[in-house]
Amino acid sequence: MSEVQTVDNMVTISIDGVEYKAKEGEYILNAARANDVFIPAICYLTRCSPTLACRLCLVEADGKQVYACNTKVKDGMSVTVDTPNILEERRAMMEVYDVNHPLQCGVCDQSGECELQNYTLEMQVDSQTYAIKDTERHTANWSSVLHYDAGLCIVCERCTTVCKDMIGDSALKTTKRGGDKLDKSLKDSMPKDAYAMWNKLQKSIIAPSNGTGSTDCSDCGECIAVCPVGALVSRDFQYTTNAWDLKRIPAVSAHSSDGFAIYYETKPRSISDRREKIFRVTNEWNFVSLDGSARFGYDFENEDVTKDEKAFANAVEALKKAETIRFNSVISNEEALMLQTLKEKLGVKLYNPEVRPFQKFLKLYSEASGKSLYNSDSTKAMKCDFVVSVGGALRNDSPGLKYAFNNIQKMNKGAGLYFHPVGDKLIPTFGKNVEMFIHKAGLEEASLYLLLDLFADKSKLPADVKDYIESFENGKLIDMLGGDSEKFMAGFDKMMKKKEKFVLMVGEDYYGHPKAENLAKLIVLLEETAGFEVVMNPPKSNALGVALICDLDDEATGYTVGYNENGDFRLSALGDGDLDLPAFNQQEGTVTTLSKRVVPTNVAIDYGGYVLNDLMAELVDAPRLTIDWTPYLPTDKGYKSVAFDDLANSFDNAGNDNRGYLLDVTTKEVELPSVEKFDENATLEGDIVYRCNPPRQFSDFSDKAHQIFEAFGLYASEERAKELGSKVEVVFENGSIEVDVVVDKKMEGNIVALSDFKSAQNVYELFGESRYATVTIREV
Amino acid sequence: MSLEQFKNRNVGTQNYVKLDLDHTPTSGWCQFKQVVKRTFKPELFVGLWVTLREMINALFRGKMHTTQYPFEKLPISPRYRAIHDMLRLLESGHYRCIGCGLCEKICIANCITMETRYDENQRKEVSEYTINFGRCIFCGYCAEVCPELAIVHGQRYETASEQRASFSLFEDMLTPIDQLNLQQEYQGFGAVSPNADENIKKTPLAY
Amino acid sequence: METATMLPEVTAAGVIIKAVLILAVIAAIAGFGTYIERKVLAFMQRRLGPQHVGPFGLLQLAADGIKLFTKEDIIPQHANKIIFAVAPVITAATAFIALAAVPVFPDFTIPLLDIYVPSIASDVNVGILFVLGMMAAGLYGPLLAGMAQANKWGIIGSARTAIQFLSYEVVTGLSILAPIMMVGSLSFVDFNNYQADGTWIVVYQPVAFVLFLIAGYAETNRTPFDLLEHEAEIVSGYVTEYSGMRWGLFFIGEYANMITIGVIASIVFLGGYNDFWIFPGWLMIIAKIAFSFFFMLWVRAAWPHIRPDQLMWLCWKVLMPLAVVNVVITGIVMMIVG
Repeated sequence: MSEVQTVDNMVTISIDGVEYKAKEGEYILNAARANDVFIPAICYLTRCSPTLACRLCLVEADGKQVYACNTKVKDGMSVTVDTPNILEERRAMMEVYDVNHPLQCGVCDQSGECELQNYTLEMQVDSQTYAIKDTERHTANWSSVLHYDAGLCIVCERCTTVCKDMIGDSALKTTKRGGDKLDKSLKDSMPKDAYAMWNKLQKSIIAPSNGTGSTDCSDCGECIAVCPVGALVSRDFQYTTNAWDLKRIPAVSAHSSDGFAIYYETKPRSISDRREKIFRVTNEWNFVSLDGSARFGYDFENEDVTKDEKAFANAVEALKKAETIRFNSVISNEEALMLQTLKEKLGVKLYNPEVRPFQKFLKLYSEASGKSLYNSDSTKAMKCDFVVSVGGALRNDSPGLKYAFNNIQKMNKGAGLYFHPVGDKLIPTFGKNVEMFIHKAGLEEASLYLLLDLFADKSKLPADVKDYIESFENGKLIDMLGGDSEKFMAGFDKMMKKKEKFVLMVGEDYYGHPKAENLAKLIVLLEETAGFEVVMNPPKSNALGVALICDLDDEATGYTVGYNENGDFRLSALGDGDLDLPAFNQQEGTVTTLSKRVVPTNVAIDYGGYVLNDLMAELVDAPRLTIDWTPYLPTDKGYKSVAFDDLANSFDNAGNDNRGYLLDVTTKEVELPSVEKFDENATLEGDIVYRCNPPRQFSDFSDKAHQIFEAFGLYASEERAKELGSKVEVVFENGSIEVDVVVDKKMEGNIVALSDFKSAQNVYELFGESRYATVTIREV
Repeated sequence: MSLEQFKNRNVGTQNYVKLDLDHTPTSGWCQFKQVVKRTFKPELFVGLWVTLREMINALFRGKMHTTQYPFEKLPISPRYRAIHDMLRLLESGHYRCIGCGLCEKICIANCITMETRYDENQRKEVSEYTINFGRCIFCGYCAEVCPELAIVHGQRYETASEQRASFSLFEDMLTPIDQLNLQQEYQGFGAVSPNADENIKKTPLAY
Repeated sequence: METATMLPEVTAAGVIIKAVLILAVIAAIAGFGTYIERKVLAFMQRRLGPQHVGPFGLLQLAADGIKLFTKEDIIPQHANKIIFAVAPVITAATAFIALAAVPVFPDFTIPLLDIYVPSIASDVNVGILFVLGMMAAGLYGPLLAGMAQANKWGIIGSARTAIQFLSYEVVTGLSILAPIMMVGSLSFVDFNNYQADGTWIVVYQPVAFVLFLIAGYAETNRTPFDLLEHEAEIVSGYVTEYSGMRWGLFFIGEYANMITIGVIASIVFLGGYNDFWIFPGWLMIIAKIAFSFFFMLWVRAAWPHIRPDQLMWLCWKVLMPLAVVNVVITGIVMMIVG
């Protein structure tokens, strides 16, 4: 359980005469679900706001008919799920839903996993009382991945709700359907709620909210996941298979550091080719929302690999003479432990430019705070009501934290501050109380000082810090960070109204920052004096696991073996190396997620070649299987000695994540750190390039997936892209790179973003540790 | 119905109805009488007569019973479950299969496999379909479950072939487009054979 | 007798030719008999029977012959190999030897060589006795075959052979004794001549005729007395282990015996080869033998098997007493009339 259930925040309600405990302030529906009581509902999504589109969750609470999805529990409340009147209403509703619903269940991609079918049967609809002229409804492709069949849509609005309340893209809305008006006489003759529902249904249909025929969104596909019928499907998946043929394999998304729980759904790819293929990725959409890379970036497996003994022998030789092993964060905890073992036994250097700054920053942070790790996570963050994001391009770097940021605004009546040198037009749309500061690169410390100024309990602050903050008068800090101090201060009180829980999301910019130590100390200060919870975004995939398990080195020297990276000898799961290794969907193991959870992932696709463990067995000593390493993950870093097969992998009905286990976080009492002042003039000037991937792209693996279309390039706002032209050469101090310019309509300002997901391009070398670099950009 | 009578397993106490048989001869004289009776009763000659009569029937009255199988074939019952046929729509000539996959799902021998795709007309198209006749047990579930009456059991029961695969592709089972007019509708599982009337006979016990 | 004086001299060449003729023709007929049997049984069951090899399936015979000759000759491991090999020969040989004393075709003279071929290869004056004796000796075939093959079914088959053949030999002998008493000779020619006036012995001796037929069926191992190789009970009885031409010899013997029984019945009871109305004698004898043969098939189609105990009971308690009574009555009648 993520949250300790105490007696004082629990109330007792009775549902159909049985007493249950429920959290105070929870909706009846959620309380019932948490207690395994079934109340029918189509439109409601846990973690999103009630839409009241389906009205099926009608129940009787204390003698009054209410909707279970938007009525909060009260102590002693007595709920009846089925009364004769409610049963009549529900049946009428399902009859209405069945009016003009095409009878193409045979070809529909929902193939039986259909809530319309389920509830129609549940309500025992065996005859139809209602009829109305059908409206012509067209199918449409909304984006490169979304296919919408309006004919099948029952307008439950789950897609619009999830897009708005969880994803934050708000790319969908209901629009006019142009259906016939209902016969007036029905108002009296048919059940009241069913009539109201039908009335609304006849008027609306789903469409992209920008008024065009295509959605302007991050293509996360969450709308596909939540669709109760077959109206929204992935274009790639459509009509290719039936759901019942697919084998579900619980796994962890390989791309972002969120470690989303996913199911790979596989089946043999064709009649003649019986190799398993992943047809789609699904998720427990009530409890976890995926980003586009997790949902569509699944086919990165290393295909048709056999045991190449010669290559294996070469690899053993290469590792024996290697001075450095270079790798990235797309690696399981077990593999990271193997590499660490190699370092200990063979003395090789471990070079990982993706994770090294993060590892150093974590160390700085724990030294300053006395805590071994940050104390919040994405689930906890979602329960806060004031969120501050610093040092990260939230939309690109961390879909999970972006969802949390957005969800706080929508569900908790929250407020948010977003500090970043690169403007993002999407962030302010999350809510009215979101303020975005587009500050100059280099002023990161200033943003933390501003936060101290705004939130800290001044009496707790060290005197020098207090004085230093007070030296900035009249909102000078705000202005310095690109805000409008008068306007901001006028609105700030409103933002702060009734706010109790604060969370700080720290992004990757800070890790490689020249003043990282000071930043870490300032964060600790914020935590201690302003009551902020802190969550950090590990750069990618299993970066946290690597940071905790491996003892990384600062540079690569001599003969280098690259694991999915450049090197003199390449071990690769991408199919282009000197020795093939399994990709993430071909191996089992554990991943350490952003939420400090160690979660298991399983094999979706067979792999016939050598694995890293075979090399280990040859070089040092290794147990039989990769997963035999799991219990030996370092316990001093918070890992537990649990065998892989003993790890749970599920959510409970209340939505608690029971996958794997949480890392132990140790706390030491330490004094408040002493912080340095910042240098106002340390800002970067001139053409600035920011190392940042487009949404949905994280690594070579996401790039390999055929449904991830975002290109490697220089991303720029529309205006900036016009200035730059179509192809440019970006000249760094230590090299240059030629890239295409890609427009990102949601970017703001002059800073351009250079992708780093292609390891072959070696972008990390160009940037060094910092994510910002001053460059010369020349059109080619 | 009570199960009492079945539970009584004491043989001999049930209400058997005895046939009206002659008593077993007890003395030698009785046995002799029985032999004489049996010998001179015309029953032996009835036997001779029946066989002779049937021979005359066969040779001279055209009542020969043999069907010379490879050269002449009897119509098979519509209930017979032979090699599957894929039917077409009579109106358009398009195949009926919509690719719903129910046959694939219900197949207890797990021998049906299909591939579907999104076609140019935004419909679900069956791109490949195969039945592994080495596995098929001809249970008929696929035909029973098919919502479009697209897959049915056809009349082809001569399934000897050099390759089992010779029958198994969609195109092999599909009604040829030029023979659409000959396509036989599926009669259903309770259907009687076309020559059912001819097949009705008096039981041979009648004599 | 008058006809005997007109006959030319019987030479050794004529007898050899006759013997070869009998052997060839009877063996061919025996084979042909299988075809006829199949056809007749098929018709009686309203089937077509063999019809694809040759016209009307006539060459089925050849096909079967080829099959029998080319089939692997299997001798079981624990069989007594010599006896196993000899047994079928005994059956076939005794069947053909029996035919030596039976008039098979009318006599004729080969025109150019001027060789007289008699109707009987060897007109011994104890013809009937010889024939019955030879047929009785045929019992060694099945008996030895069944015992030699080291097979339980074979043993049962040979046991049945012993009881069935020995028992019915008595009935055959007694039943035919009455006609012999009437004719006063054991020569077939005398029997034939006895009936030259057109009155068949069957008219005087109906009981003897019926008894002879029943016993004859039992001796030739025909339904309803084919207990020796009753498939439903003992697989194939004494021929269980036989294959190929060895198996074939048993059947040539069986069919030859069937013909022999047909010939004896025709000559002893049914008027022999005397002319009848407008039909010449040779046609009559062929017709009589053919009918006799057909009747065996007809009976097979119509009647079921009997049990071994019924078989014994029938022989010793019914047929044998009847035969004795028949002989006694014949004797008394002859005393009174003669």
